[in-house]
Amino acid sequence: MSWLDWAVVVGYLSFMIFDGIRMTKHSKSVQGYFLANKSLPWWAVGLSVMATQMSAITLVGTTGQAYSDGMRFIQFYFGLPIAMVIICVTVVKFFHNANVYTAYEYLEQRFDVRVRTLTSFFFVISRGLALGVVIAAPSIILSLVLGWNLIVTIFAIGLTTTVYTMFGGVQAVTWTDVKQMFVIFFGLAVCLIIIIGNFPDHVSLPDGLRLAGAVGKLNTVDFKVDFTETYTFWSGLIGGAFLALSYFGCDQSQVQRFLTARSVDEGRTSLLMSAFLKIPIQFVILLVGVMVFVFYQFQAPPIIFQNTGSVRAAAQTEQFKEVEARYNQAFERRKEDAVEFVESGTPESRAKFLESNKEFSAARSQAIGLVKSQIATEEKKDAKDVDFSDVNYVFPTFVLTYMPIGVVGLIIAAIFAAAMSTISAELNALATATTIDFYRRLVNPDASDKQYLLVGKFSTLFWGIFACIVAVYSSNLGSLIEVINRFGSFFYGSVLGVFALAFLFRRSTASGAFWGILCGMASIAFIHNFGVLADGSGMQSLIDAKPYFKIAFLWYNVVGCVVTVAAGLLISFAFPKKENEKITA
Amino acid sequence: MSNEVKDKPDSWWYPVYAGVILTLVVVIMLLWGFSRYFS
Repeated sequence: MSWLDWAVVVGYLSFMIFDGIRMTKHSKSVQGYFLANKSLPWWAVGLSVMATQMSAITLVGTTGQAYSDGMRFIQFYFGLPIAMVIICVTVVKFFHNANVYTAYEYLEQRFDVRVRTLTSFFFVISRGLALGVVIAAPSIILSLVLGWNLIVTIFAIGLTTTVYTMFGGVQAVTWTDVKQMFVIFFGLAVCLIIIIGNFPDHVSLPDGLRLAGAVGKLNTVDFKVDFTETYTFWSGLIGGAFLALSYFGCDQSQVQRFLTARSVDEGRTSLLMSAFLKIPIQFVILLVGVMVFVFYQFQAPPIIFQNTGSVRAAAQTEQFKEVEARYNQAFERRKEDAVEFVESGTPESRAKFLESNKEFSAARSQAIGLVKSQIATEEKKDAKDVDFSDVNYVFPTFVLTYMPIGVVGLIIAAIFAAAMSTISAELNALATATTIDFYRRLVNPDASDKQYLLVGKFSTLFWGIFACIVAVYSSNLGSLIEVINRFGSFFYGSVLGVFALAFLFRRSTASGAFWGILCGMASIAFIHNFGVLADGSGMQSLIDAKPYFKIAFLWYNVVGCVVTVAAGLLISFAFPKKENEKITA
Repeated sequence: MSNEVKDKPDSWWYPVYAGVILTLVVVIMLLWGFSRYFS
């Protein structure tokens, strides 16, 4: 990186810390610190909702995913607008009028303290661990690509965010999110314009799209009914809707966003902003990845985008050098065929381009296979058990190699912005749940406002350090964007089920909700681990287990929710509520 | 903290929700058309 790039990155980080810390003056009470005194305008809340959901993994992972797999991932968000409408109709008004700090506080009003505590516990554990991965993702990538020390990078991202969140509270979170969204939008726009501008003179944007479309990179809607296929219209619309309902309606990191809005109307408007804008924004992010693919039709891409010790060791072997020679020849052939297809557009030239792209991809797959064998040798395991993917390194490598001075710094700042906007919101939510659901409710209900504020700040610091430590250990988790979603899918469906029982079924009882959520989580663990238990090979970690009953992880949210509701209702009818149980909703 | 803003009735929002769903349908159709045109 040049001095200008460093100046942009350091300037951005310094401004964020300063801007966050100066919010301290608005955060002197518990209401101010956790809920901004319910004073925020809809557009700030709306941008914060989007910034919280869009982590660095979205920016780096989905661009890489579009490069290798195309735009199918956009289907993941098809259910989001439906979920937002449902949340606006139900949850926003309930939570606003219930005067709660946390979504789980409402569960005590509806059921009892057991349900509140259990759900909040699942939230803090799952969110605390996921936050570690959110910090790890950009840190690993930036440290490898830029040569920074990994642990220093983790703590630089994690602790700077922790500092301004700790002092500024939710006001700092929201107003830095607003600025970070502008950095992200601006960075993406500049990136897209420069990539397209760097196409060869005879290649226009429509030409590039035709090239990408020919190899299937532009497939955005797949109506196939296949429960094992991760991204289809149906998994996105239905599974994605359940995931979005749980995440935006029941997860404290998002619920706290609209709780800070001035009114129910402003809360609703902030969510509907995402409903209209999320899919178009995601389209642009994926398009960046596809444009990188088109760019690399005319400039040779690295055979492997990740430059670790194992990759360098594999590259020294004779076998790898032969594959690399084949790869380079395949690239030249593909480039000629791409130019011919662009110029003539005939079906024959298209077929020729597809054939040479296939050869090129085969050479790259062979190279990846050799790297996996190298890792398998180093780690003394089977090559088929090695999980290696360089997808997350495509975009940062491209930026560092081809973006002009200054723009590199802008894109790195955008990656930081995406990471920090998510981290700050999640840290603040963790601190809120810890202070309100645990400390205030169970440990010290009669403490002063000042004491709760102090606990809130120390909780933020605790979770920030905890997440950084998790980040240090989570560096070997393969495709990070799918790890985050897999983690979430174990919990989100069941948590949604509890809220569904609370809002939709007046006869559901506290015991029904409590045991229902446990049944929901047990059902997901069963589906995911069935193969392991069936062949008697013993329990493995939930991350490593290969499911016998194969369904894509998005459907876990549906299963978890349905089982929780069904079990909860069964138990509620079998053991009806006692006289002293409340049914307020 | 006091909320002096008077919220609109729930029924005011129904056409907005309908607009969201309609927009989703249009966006999906546009995406499908985009994919078909360039593939």
